[in-house]
Amino acid sequence: MRLLVLASAIWTILAMAFLHHKTKGFGKRTLFSKPAGSPRKGALYAFTRGMAPWAKESVMLNLPSYVAGMAFHAGVFSAFGLMCLALLGFELPFFLLVIAQVFTLLGAIGGLSLFVKRIVKAELRGLSCPDDFVSNLLSTAFALLAFLWTLVPSMESLWLAEGALLLIYAPIGKIRHCLFFFTTRYHLGAFFGRRGTFPPEGNSHA
Amino acid sequence: MPELDELESRLDALVEGDFQRGLEVFRSKLKEAEASYLNSCVHCGLCASSCHYHRADATLENVPAHKLDVIAAVFKRNFTAMGRVAPGLVGARTFDREMAKAWVDAVFGRCSLCGRCSINCTIGIAMPRIFRAARAALGAMGLTPSDLQATVDNSLQHGNNMAITQEDWVETVQWIEEELQMEVDDPEAKLPLDKKGAKILFTVNPREPKFFPLSLQASAKVFWAAKEDWTLSSDPGWDLTNYGLFNCKDDEAGAITQNLVDAMERLGCKTLVIGECGHGYGAARWEGPEWLQKSYPFEIKSILELMDDYLREGRIHVDPSKNTVPVTLHDPCNLVRHGGICEAQRRVLRKSVTTFTEMTPNRAENFCCGGGGGQLSMARYKNRRIQSGGVKAGQIKDTGAKIVVAPCHNCIDQLMELNKEYKLNVQIKTVAEMVADAIVTTA
Repeated sequence: MRLLVLASAIWTILAMAFLHHKTKGFGKRTLFSKPAGSPRKGALYAFTRGMAPWAKESVMLNLPSYVAGMAFHAGVFSAFGLMCLALLGFELPFFLLVIAQVFTLLGAIGGLSLFVKRIVKAELRGLSCPDDFVSNLLSTAFALLAFLWTLVPSMESLWLAEGALLLIYAPIGKIRHCLFFFTTRYHLGAFFGRRGTFPPEGNSHA
Repeated sequence: MPELDELESRLDALVEGDFQRGLEVFRSKLKEAEASYLNSCVHCGLCASSCHYHRADATLENVPAHKLDVIAAVFKRNFTAMGRVAPGLVGARTFDREMAKAWVDAVFGRCSLCGRCSINCTIGIAMPRIFRAARAALGAMGLTPSDLQATVDNSLQHGNNMAITQEDWVETVQWIEEELQMEVDDPEAKLPLDKKGAKILFTVNPREPKFFPLSLQASAKVFWAAKEDWTLSSDPGWDLTNYGLFNCKDDEAGAITQNLVDAMERLGCKTLVIGECGHGYGAARWEGPEWLQKSYPFEIKSILELMDDYLREGRIHVDPSKNTVPVTLHDPCNLVRHGGICEAQRRVLRKSVTTFTEMTPNRAENFCCGGGGGQLSMARYKNRRIQSGGVKAGQIKDTGAKIVVAPCHNCIDQLMELNKEYKLNVQIKTVAEMVADAIVTTA
């Protein structure tokens, strides 16, 4: 099982590297207009203050979804952390284990709530394709199994198998945003930074 | 609706080669950034409330992510491995007549390219960049709405988007000059035409000579008060508009931009000043050099920056007590969010009026008035345009202002319609008009 996880991780890394390479292959746009601001400062803003909930009206208007999403991501990342430690044979100190349990459980709850939301809300359902459900289920199950494994260690094989499946699927579906989130956010920040819009000077919600 | 029928019949007449050509053009517009955007959407749907179309009509088709998805589906099918292997799983779609129709509806009919969704996207997808690529592809397939294309054709054929003849333009300038001389009681007050070697070439939206001569007169008064060395051009270089930004045919947009460059070279001016027009500023300042594939050999500025400079440097003096009616400010998307001109107009207004109230939200978070993206020229989508403008109308009402200042003549046209439709009972003015009213000539 450990070999399967390792092979899946290698597949994920290679496939993500290929996707990144392919995207790079579209080429960089040469810009001729004189910049009004700094792309670097814009990118920095996009990855820092620009990600704060209060910087985005869309987040402030949908706080429960935002909180669920953050918990979901924290849970999945915690589960990956646990999986790495499990594969290396490390045991977490008790207080860290409790934290990991809280994160993975909340992550699973967050993921499940978003899954239900996607089914129940007509608009979100209309926006979804099978990949949205598959990606959510694989990630939610991974966080949930990680939590259960901390209570029932005999579930390790099931959890690792599910983890391998998640790793195999990651570059195939929308979980690839774990790579493209960073490139997209960089491009957004650089674009608005160059134009002098990022970082903003005044209070847009005053 | 002959235009509607015409577009429908063009859709019906599409053949395989058209789709191929559309895809080739679409692909040619994508670079690393756009490819990244097209791989990023997680369908969270949180962008919905950021769109004024969705705020006014909460349907799936108005969710920015859905509009993006219509385009991304075709991208996946044609340019990704999984889209070819398992299209059903990842939501990939073949580019056929049905999808072409969906593209037209999404990118021409339900988007003003305002970019508010970009700022509010949890990932950070700059959706207008994708929608512009899609508009370009549809243009290559002959699917640009004909009234939008007609506006571009006017610029290409007549040198300005309202087909004003050179004779009419020159006569209007001379008439406004006489009016200015009377207003400021100075026979030397001029609207110089074709003054070689002038420091500034000032460009205007053709709506000014055609419908709003007081706007041009106000700008001229500011130049007069600042003792500026400026000129207008009698040839096509006087029109700052460029609807090539909206039909997204870069060759046509570049040809229109070239008019400005030619006028600058012919007159030997140092600075190209763009009058109060959001898309005109965006097109000339940001996209023009990209369309021409070369940097400008001259400086380019918005008149808002120039007025801000004049006030800071003490070249003009204003008395805010001349403008006591409560004022609010509209932020044109192409000037502010996409243009980066956020604060200059605010500094100018604060000095020129007694009561200035911000809309909420404002600056880069502003709502589009609904008239952007070429919507004003596309009659078939008029009802949606007016409906989506309801969001801006609500913002204006909330301020309690009696004057809406809009540094954009396209926005002004839309705001005038909103004023009537939503009974706002406000006046709509440019920043220069407010400054001109507040100018103290004896200082």
